[in-house]
Amino acid sequence: MDMIMAKTLTFGVSGVNGYPVHVEVFGINGIPGLEIIGLPDASVRESRDRVNAAIINSGKQMPARRITINLAPADMKKEGPSFDLPIAVGVLIANREIITDPAIETEKIAMFGELSLDGRVQPIAGALPMVISAKENGIRDVILPDKNAREAACIEGMNILPVSHLSQVIAFLEGSGTIEKQKQISFDSLKNEIFASPDMAQIKGQGGAKRALEVAAAGGHNMIMIGVPGSGKTMLARCLPGILPPLSFEEALETTRIHSISGKLPPNSGLMVLRPFCAPHHNASVASLIGGGQDAKPGEVSLAHNGVLFLDEIPEFTRNALEALRQPLEDGIVNVARVKKQAQYQSSFMLVAAMNPCPCGFYGSSRKVCRCTPQEIRRYLDRISGPLLDRIDLQIEVDAVPVQEINSSAPAEPSAAVAKRVSMARMIQQERYRGTGKHCNAQLNNEEVKQYCMPDAEGIRLLNAAMETMNLSMRGYQRILKVARTIADLDHTDLIGSAHIAEAIQYRELDQKYWR
Amino acid sequence: MSALATEPSAFVYHAWLASAALPPGTVNGLLKEYGTPENVWNAVISGPSIIDGIPAAGLKTLKQNMTDEWLESVERLLFQHQIGAFTITDQDYPSMLLQMEEPPAILFYQGNLHCMRQKNLAMVGSRAASYDGQKAAGKIARNLSRKGIGIISGMAGGIDTASHTGCIEGGSQTIAVTGCGLDIVYPSANLRLRDRILENRGLLLSEYAPGEKPVGWHFPFRNRIITGLSQALIVIEAKIRSGTMTSVQHALNQGKDVFVYPGDPTSPYFEGNHRLLREGAVYFTTAEDILEDLGWLDNPGIIGQNSGCSGRTQTFTPEEEAVFSALKPGRLGFEQIADRSGLSPAALMSTLTMLQIKGMIEALPGKQYQLKDSDSQHYSDPEE
Repeated sequence: MDMIMAKTLTFGVSGVNGYPVHVEVFGINGIPGLEIIGLPDASVRESRDRVNAAIINSGKQMPARRITINLAPADMKKEGPSFDLPIAVGVLIANREIITDPAIETEKIAMFGELSLDGRVQPIAGALPMVISAKENGIRDVILPDKNAREAACIEGMNILPVSHLSQVIAFLEGSGTIEKQKQISFDSLKNEIFASPDMAQIKGQGGAKRALEVAAAGGHNMIMIGVPGSGKTMLARCLPGILPPLSFEEALETTRIHSISGKLPPNSGLMVLRPFCAPHHNASVASLIGGGQDAKPGEVSLAHNGVLFLDEIPEFTRNALEALRQPLEDGIVNVARVKKQAQYQSSFMLVAAMNPCPCGFYGSSRKVCRCTPQEIRRYLDRISGPLLDRIDLQIEVDAVPVQEINSSAPAEPSAAVAKRVSMARMIQQERYRGTGKHCNAQLNNEEVKQYCMPDAEGIRLLNAAMETMNLSMRGYQRILKVARTIADLDHTDLIGSAHIAEAIQYRELDQKYWR
Repeated sequence: MSALATEPSAFVYHAWLASAALPPGTVNGLLKEYGTPENVWNAVISGPSIIDGIPAAGLKTLKQNMTDEWLESVERLLFQHQIGAFTITDQDYPSMLLQMEEPPAILFYQGNLHCMRQKNLAMVGSRAASYDGQKAAGKIARNLSRKGIGIISGMAGGIDTASHTGCIEGGSQTIAVTGCGLDIVYPSANLRLRDRILENRGLLLSEYAPGEKPVGWHFPFRNRIITGLSQALIVIEAKIRSGTMTSVQHALNQGKDVFVYPGDPTSPYFEGNHRLLREGAVYFTTAEDILEDLGWLDNPGIIGQNSGCSGRTQTFTPEEEAVFSALKPGRLGFEQIADRSGLSPAALMSTLTMLQIKGMIEALPGKQYQLKDSDSQHYSDPEE
């Protein structure tokens, strides 16, 4: 049987963006085989064996010819197994194993998916950016693995066709079968699904720390918690995503894209609704935090985009890793440059750090003796550099309080109630900073602090008195004003009063006690 | 003091004689026999291979060090750090030291030797000290210092540092007896403190030759000099098994009074204090108590002018009143204050700041707070 030239359409991923890839298949006489060109990496090259088996297991024949497959544009590096499906379809069409329904324009259908040897279609990483790119390129129909369907289902105006087996695709193209369309899932309906973050109501006591969390969430401030082991720092941090305002659709798209290309989305998940919470272990390398590797993959700071990056035991991180955090903290963007690839990833996150007060953990504890020498404590604290500390607005101490010492039986406030206040405060800020490109108090620079965060006369007097009597540093001054702005926003007042300043001062206390 | 006028190079023989780490008794014997370290040098260089009283190993070290290079390097150290020395045979050797067992035969010094003539009290405690202990040490040292009493301690971290600092702040001169050569500052974090001691005309003493490393056993041994130079020992904070306890033993052997600060009986930091108090040590809480017991209470004008806390006359808001009364029984954590005062976390945060600025309460590590004068001090510091 003659072979013809066949073309199918698929998408690749570069950085967080998809780009169209045309799969061209052509067979000539010669030793039977399958050659893939167009800068395939190892996983793409292995595709020929998967395609071979999958075609036979779908009841079709492999042509006894030498087949060349070109992935155009040929100058972009192709990665990953998502090209299996378009290659298999291309081979079948070129070999006339599939006579396509004339009503179907195969070159206008985007398709991607990994094939297993028995012909089943497996989920892939990066489905969301591919579908977004398809939409941008005027493509409506997308055939994709059924486990990726929900991820793509939020994109409006698309015809998402989820499949679980290659034979389904064959039947569809031949016109002998149909694929059930994935219903569009509205973003709002996703929001009403399960709420995974732990609830604040589960934490007994810790009123002070909870209040600090609320302030941090309301102003988008970075925060550090110091406390003895077992005081509940991690639990508190885990509550933070639950009190932050829900992701907007655009934010959800941004965050989901990054998780999608990293292959971090669980199968069958839709767009991410909850803010991400990333807690890398303290032996994390610079590359794993910031992004890197051969393919310049996104790191934890990007996975935490629009969410929370939690660094437990922050002094145990390497100095390099901590210093590398400064750029993303400042700009909300990281540039990852590697020999083979460069990429820019968004990385606008809230940093929440936790640490013990000293190496043994019990400095200042009323219940256990600290065994550290003053020099050891000094060295431990010095691992966090001034410039990094400068980017952290709230510093609080968390003390473990035995439950039996708390007499009041009033139930703790649930996260939902706190989230409501936080959302209100965020709305006030968005209103105030409309048109300036900022959206929360934490982003203000020194000039803007002067413009937006000036307290009343009584507040200034109090702050100056505190600077003197409490040994506050000048760097603390700006932070206090910013945080006081957020506290006033939580109070729904425009004027920053002395009570707001006084509360904000409490969140700088570690400056006096630890980093004197 | 006769040694004061001489050039640093005069002390190289002192350093040489101290370099063999001979027992003080042996060196005493040698000095009694030969007079000065230089004479000992001459005796060793010209004399027989065995000198009475010097163990063979010690003699070997001494002979090894009899090179020009060694002398030059030591001279450089002495000159660079302005280190002087005196021996037990010098006229001005403090007589207090003669009364103790194993008096140091050679002492190296930096700074003002006249400090040894003022009334001095030793103040000791843990290196890894509690916040309370350091606070108390600083305050008591300061108040004693205001009365013209010097504080002797060991220039280690924790209580030692607080004691020296308190003494400097109070205006008197402080003496530090170290456990290594005076060219070395140990711990190195105390470099600044060393400079402050010298700037304020204080004195650094050591029986170890320049270049001698801080070795573990030096420290308990030098404690005898700390107590030996002082009229009484003040223990601020001691665990049951600690170097502080060796100081107490030295003080008792030397017939000195031991004052022990009570501290929190439930805190493990003060376990040793309470053991000592049970065994009959003198209980005290303020500098005045010590002065009274020592019969030095002749100049009551300096301490206690500022009586009571001036903040008392300030007006309180109801929130501040609530927090203040919650803290009256003693220190509390944030959560407990919130519980007892009934204030919301936000209101409590700002109230605590107000009270801190008014000087009514202080914040302690571990998110704890206490009334500023609840530490059983009867008077408050004007500067605090």
